[in-house]
Amino acid sequence: MRTPWSEFWRKFRKQHVALAAGGFVLVLVVLAVLAPYVVPFDAENFFDYDTLNSPPSAKHWFGVDPLGRDIFSRLLMGSRISLTAGFVSVAFGAVIGTVLGLVAGYYEGWWDRAIMRLCDVLFAFPGILLAIAIVAILGSGMANVIIAVSIFSIPTFARLVRGNTLALKHLTYVESARSIGASDTTIVLRHIFPGTISAVVVYFSMRIGTSIITAASLSFLGMGAQPPTPEWGAMLNEARSEMMTAPHVALFPAVAIFLTVLAFNLLGDGLRDALDPKIEQR
Amino acid sequence: MKPLFRPLAVGALVAAAFAAGPALAAKDVTFAVASTFTTTDPYDANDTLSQAMAKSFYEGLFGFDKDMKLIPVLAESYDVSKDGLVYTIKLKKGVKFHDGTDFKADAVKASFDRVTNPDNKLKRYALYSNIARTDVVDDATARITLKTPFSAFINNLAHPSGVIISPAALKQYGNKDIAFHPVGTGPFKFVEWKATDYLKVARFDGYWKKGYPKVDGITWKPVIDSNSRAAVMQTGEAQFTYPVPYEMAETLKAKPELDIVAAPSIIVRYLSMNTQQKPFDNPKVRQAINYAINKEAVAKVAFGGYATPADAIVPEGVEFSVKTGVWPYDVAKAKALLAEAGYPNGFETELWSAYNHTIAQKVTQVLQQQLQQVGIKTKITLLEAGQRVEKVESWQDPATAPVRLYYVGWSSSTGEADWALRPLLYSESWPPKLFNTAYYKSERVDGDIRNALLTTDKAEKAKLYKDAQETIYKDAPWAPLVTEKLLSANNKKLSGVYTMPDGSFNFTDVDLK
Repeated sequence: MRTPWSEFWRKFRKQHVALAAGGFVLVLVVLAVLAPYVVPFDAENFFDYDTLNSPPSAKHWFGVDPLGRDIFSRLLMGSRISLTAGFVSVAFGAVIGTVLGLVAGYYEGWWDRAIMRLCDVLFAFPGILLAIAIVAILGSGMANVIIAVSIFSIPTFARLVRGNTLALKHLTYVESARSIGASDTTIVLRHIFPGTISAVVVYFSMRIGTSIITAASLSFLGMGAQPPTPEWGAMLNEARSEMMTAPHVALFPAVAIFLTVLAFNLLGDGLRDALDPKIEQR
Repeated sequence: MKPLFRPLAVGALVAAAFAAGPALAAKDVTFAVASTFTTTDPYDANDTLSQAMAKSFYEGLFGFDKDMKLIPVLAESYDVSKDGLVYTIKLKKGVKFHDGTDFKADAVKASFDRVTNPDNKLKRYALYSNIARTDVVDDATARITLKTPFSAFINNLAHPSGVIISPAALKQYGNKDIAFHPVGTGPFKFVEWKATDYLKVARFDGYWKKGYPKVDGITWKPVIDSNSRAAVMQTGEAQFTYPVPYEMAETLKAKPELDIVAAPSIIVRYLSMNTQQKPFDNPKVRQAINYAINKEAVAKVAFGGYATPADAIVPEGVEFSVKTGVWPYDVAKAKALLAEAGYPNGFETELWSAYNHTIAQKVTQVLQQQLQQVGIKTKITLLEAGQRVEKVESWQDPATAPVRLYYVGWSSSTGEADWALRPLLYSESWPPKLFNTAYYKSERVDGDIRNALLTTDKAEKAKLYKDAQETIYKDAPWAPLVTEKLLSANNKKLSGVYTMPDGSFNFTDVDLK
């Protein structure tokens, strides 16, 4: 028998790029979890003033930063922060956005107008600007950056789910559920929500990439992680002044951000293709 | 005939153009500086840079040469009365303002009457508030009477803020607008100021010092990003820049057309500790912090080696400075002192920086690393200018002041110990009045500072300032960190521009080959 899972796996397996991206993400997650046990040096408190800015070597795989710290260790520890920030903020945004989208799409009318106009207001700001404004109000720090990124993820999820809800609620199986007297709650939760999940999952994985970039950007601007936290964006900021003399200091965190975001986006693409029933297999 | 002459005529014209070319080519120089100018009015500027730039068009009665030695500029000579209250100043003759009026004693009166009037709300009011009155004796003589004897008064007159403004211009533009129409006696006339782009000045033909200035104009160009500042030097867009980012020094040194100069400074960088708040009210904690900091490392990591560990409260080069020595780096002793003070496991505190530039970012992180070694956990905040004023400099109630560990610097632009001690460590200088961010209060130091101002006897003054500095060293309201070197770059074609020990510039002799 073909369960939805096996069907998904059958399609996803064929997407080699997405599979590789998924593998990379998996490795990254494992590394992030194990980081405190595997890092060769203490990311914050190890420093060697005699090897400032020294390039990659056998001892320091990714070289040493301008304050004498081991870049490889900092990068590994930083992956915890970036992944957490990306995942948590999107999760918050997805949960709140999905609830709002379901309410707006199912009830329509006044609810719909209020929620959608609110989303329009949030949409009107360029993403990073909105995040900066929120951090400016809440104050700097990683927790506030996560809140800011969540808030600016909400409207996209709300719109997405609302659209799906609007389409689903006119389908026959929903109407038959209503005609046998199912309550609104049952209809939304049991019959409509599951139909929106695949879209949310796809968008979720794509969104993580954006969120990691936004969180890193805010840290780069000095609003997120505070020193000596090895957040990738903050590391880039600290490397900025040495760009000409010690490019490796900026290179590694930049590559880390690039690869991670790329992997999440490719993974999202693969998920979309695998979950979209309209794309038929050849 | 005509066809024969035409080529000749053209040839002559071309030749004339070539001959005239080099002579007519304007000798304009561009200085790339690190910040935008806050004002062109030195009396209303708190930053060294704006004051240094204003020396293009303004001059004071006294000034400093490139080695920070006091010299008369618009003054010829001066006399002090026996009681130290009345200064009679003979003025130079034949000096003209840019607006064509003559420089006379009434200009001295107009300039000082303006700054000493509290209604004008000028930022440098405190530096001159001791002036009781300024009188015109005759055209070439001015008399300044003080409220209390103040033996460093001539140094205050030489401070870059103490300039003479044309009384006619002051009358025409008024107290605030004079900042947009500066008119002085300096070698250059003000031309144009585009806040974020540039400030242009042009040669003043009626300048009193014959043969000066040697160039036709200066463009002061704020280039805030330090890598860009290094870049404009490499492209030749600018002929002089200060400060050169330390990490770029080696790269620029490799360029054959550039000279990199590391000049000594009187800028001391220190960490002040709020002595009115726990745990910094305990001298043992403050001493422990002094022991915990490796100043060599700070100099090396944050200043690229272009700094020396601070060995004095008042830096060398300032009159009456006393070497108290570099506080030894001794982690074990720091831990022992912390344990004695009741903090065997350290504590958590705030570490603020008065600046948010790269160097401050590095300094605070090095301090954070080192304090961590003795168990003191710090949370770093790099304050923006606005936050600095709000949270530190203008904080009204000392009892609730949130500042704890505070990284800041000071350059004593009067070149004399009073202005290096009184604003920073005198008990009446707590914010919001002045900058005693350690909220330090010592009867003994207060007495020394007060008495030193009253006496005109140099030996006596030296003794009092020595006692003050030694007392401060032992009490440790600060952890003195480093005295930085001033790193500037200039094109080899440019000569006569110097970075002075207080971080301002001397460009009297500026010339371009």
